[in-house]
Amino acid sequence: MIGAEFESVLAAAQEGSEAAFSRLWRDGNPALLRYLRVTAPQAAEDVAAETWLQVVRGLAGFCGDEHGWRAWLFTTARRRAIDEARRRSRRPAKALEETLPDRLPTAPDTADLALEHIDTRSALSLVAQLPPHQAEVILLRVVAGLDNEMVAQMLGRSPGAVRVAAHRGLRAMAGILAEADVTL
Amino acid sequence: MPNILWPGHRDVPIGDTSLAALLAGTELPPGPAPELRPLAEALAELRAQPASDELEGEAKTLAAFRNQFGVPRMAHRPPARTPPPRRRLLPVKAAAAATVLSLGGIATAAYAGALPATVQRLAHHIIGAPAPGTQPALRPSPARLATTGDPAYGLCTAWAHAKTHGTAEQSAVAFSKLATAAGGAANVTTYCATAAPPGTPASHMPHPVPAPHSTGRPSGFPTPHGSGKPSGLPTPHGSEGPTVHPTPHSTGKPSGLPTPRSSGH
Repeated sequence: MIGAEFESVLAAAQEGSEAAFSRLWRDGNPALLRYLRVTAPQAAEDVAAETWLQVVRGLAGFCGDEHGWRAWLFTTARRRAIDEARRRSRRPAKALEETLPDRLPTAPDTADLALEHIDTRSALSLVAQLPPHQAEVILLRVVAGLDNEMVAQMLGRSPGAVRVAAHRGLRAMAGILAEADVTL
Repeated sequence: MPNILWPGHRDVPIGDTSLAALLAGTELPPGPAPELRPLAEALAELRAQPASDELEGEAKTLAAFRNQFGVPRMAHRPPARTPPPRRRLLPVKAAAAATVLSLGGIATAAYAGALPATVQRLAHHIIGAPAPGTQPALRPSPARLATTGDPAYGLCTAWAHAKTHGTAEQSAVAFSKLATAAGGAANVTTYCATAAPPGTPASHMPHPVPAPHSTGRPSGFPTPHGSGKPSGLPTPHGSEGPTVHPTPHSTGKPSGLPTPRSSGH
């Protein structure tokens, strides 16, 4: 998150400052990729790039604070990911060996989780083991930094349902880590 | 304790306070913290600083940004609004057309109302020439005055005017018409000597001088000075002229939750 400077950075980007837009991109793209590596694992980079192209086209007309900006960014990404999933569902299934191994969602490796340090990749793998709705709620709350109401609006659920999904998802993650005997 | 939500894994209860702290990334409350520390660590990793591979692809997005916003410019400078090219070219085209029409005999013919209807209409819009089908709004001139009197006077005056103010070609054309009307070049002097000025009975009536625009052609030598230039600035033609009001370039609207500005800025 950019914080107090966000408003001026956004204004400069909307006026054509490449440096300001670069700062928005560098702040948002890592979180965007982490979200997409779970929700669209086979096309995360492509969907992220398409998302930014769409954001660039709408940037001059955007009005909102940093939370609104993040909500717009992730809403755009989510729609692009859904479009991508539909497109892929219409295609003949790819042979497994044609899919890059590093793009496949991987199950949390007990050995990885048992390490004293959990890295970002293994944490994402852990989230990927949750039911899709719980995983998405966790990612939008934790990675995107959106509040409960924004996530509820984005997903078309009630705030209560989103809160329950987050609670269940975190309990499940904690259970997996406890089973893996991760102690810090 | 078995985990009914996630069979096969232990159930780790999370209280409301701990849940809020985990989601917000803040310090866990005292109590069950040791059990939840691995989870807090995993969530912290989800928020961790970017890895190098997460910052690849910036160049592609910045290229799209440059394409959308134009060449790099200083921050805080309002972006140049680029009206649609078609609208911007309109006044340029009109100016170019006015320049072309102002040169040479085309303008002459235009002010005489002697061009084909479509071209005349264009000249009407651009340089204020008479509209097709209307009388040319010429300033009083020898040639025009001649049409109210003896045609011979008009032809003679036009030739005399062309000799002193016009080009050689204009003079030759005027003389040719005069000689035809006089019945030969040798008769021109006598013909003109007896030509009646306007307001006096015509001595050579009837002479076959076509009425203005009866054939869509100029009658005699229509321009007062033969310079081919309009005598003043083109008259504005109100709503008929091209009115160009550049509008802010639409950049699309975000499709997400925030309210987009309706008119950009």
